[in-house]
Amino acid sequence: MAAPDQLMFARRLGPTGRLFIWFLIGVACVVADARYHALEGLRSGFSVLIQPLRVAMRAPNDMASELSGFFVRHRQLQQQRDALLAERAQQSLSVNVARELARENAELRGLLQLQTRPGLQVARAAMLYKGYDWFAQRITLDQGAGSGLRGGLPVMDARGLMGQVSRVFPGSSEVTLVSSPQQLTPILVERTGQRGLVAGTGQGRLELRYMPAQTDIRQGDRLLTSGIDRVYPAGLPVARVTRVSRSQSSPYLRVECLPLAGLEHSRAVLVLIAEPQIIQPPASKPAASKPQGGKS
Amino acid sequence: MINAAQKAGNWRRVMGTLAVAVLLEQLPWAGWVIELLPDFVLVGVLFWVLHQPAKVGFGLAFMLGLLADFQDGAVFGQHAIAYVIGVYVVLFLRLRLLQFDPLRQAAQLFPIFLAVQLIVLLVGWLAVTPPVGLGILMPVLGSTVLWYLIALFVRLLHGKGLQDHA
Repeated sequence: MAAPDQLMFARRLGPTGRLFIWFLIGVACVVADARYHALEGLRSGFSVLIQPLRVAMRAPNDMASELSGFFVRHRQLQQQRDALLAERAQQSLSVNVARELARENAELRGLLQLQTRPGLQVARAAMLYKGYDWFAQRITLDQGAGSGLRGGLPVMDARGLMGQVSRVFPGSSEVTLVSSPQQLTPILVERTGQRGLVAGTGQGRLELRYMPAQTDIRQGDRLLTSGIDRVYPAGLPVARVTRVSRSQSSPYLRVECLPLAGLEHSRAVLVLIAEPQIIQPPASKPAASKPQGGKS
Repeated sequence: MINAAQKAGNWRRVMGTLAVAVLLEQLPWAGWVIELLPDFVLVGVLFWVLHQPAKVGFGLAFMLGLLADFQDGAVFGQHAIAYVIGVYVVLFLRLRLLQFDPLRQAAQLFPIFLAVQLIVLLVGWLAVTPPVGLGILMPVLGSTVLWYLIALFVRLLHGKGLQDHA
């Protein structure tokens, strides 16, 4: 069969054998990561390695915007300043009103002996990278555990809720966007106070789920976070309803919404760091509050 | 068979192009560009597998696949498995691919890129959210065993194979 001068066995494995070995290693990786979450260390290792590269690759972009900022016209700056001053005057009015309302609210809460809302602390971050995945829409921020970020914190831009911190590395973090498939956000309709759940569809849109067919909801309604999940603080703008349609096959309305935040183009974002709220059953009636105590 | 790319592909050049590919992926792409953005690393790996199979192979493709998994925040192994399978297909078709002019070569690589992307989807699907349990894969094993039994039976009955008796 084999010629006398030919090797009976090849010293190296053929491509099929090597493919098989690497395939098995790959399957082991998938199982270790998806089932046992054993590869988070590798992930933070990659983040430490890649983070400086990303910062470096962003530098030309930053420099270009610095340069174009330098050559902006004086007249344009003046116009912008005037617009900002007018806006500030308007906002200082509403700030006064809000301060008055907050004082009143605190007093009322004191009277009713309700829990006060936790104070919010804000961390600024910049978007570094946008991942492109079949299963989730994520962005990477340039702030991580070093600035006090934790998994689960809400992330906003100037216009609305962007998403939730899903993974934290030493110097960077990953945010799952609200438009990511299967990402749920509890909301209430600003006009009627009706509560509901928005889910991402994966195509930059949101869908308000499980609204019975007789619900009062119209095109243009704003959706705010309801705060009942204790993940998002109440009242953050999330989305605007773009289309309401009735389907023959489902008892629920089909409500399409567009997120208010610039999910694709916001570079500067805010991470809201709230103190973790620990719900303790009131000491006076321990027996009555038992079922609630376990659900914190 | 020795062509320009093969002669030019020394270690420094291979590593340099792959490093550039990795760096290009780190740019903060956004908007419509990201929809059309090629997978630079995959293109680089497959190119060097085609022209320098002794230097770039399964191991490097696997590592770069893990890096791609990290970048997309996906489950580790999705891109790694897909890249490795892509490398295998290119190695399998290597001599054929080297004979084509650039346009035809690109056209031949289109299904390979498509397959790699679909394998990413498939692996992620099975790993993250299988529609039903993975038990639905068990009939594959059953079918293989059944095939073995049938083949064994046929061989025992007819000798070597059926084609001679047709």
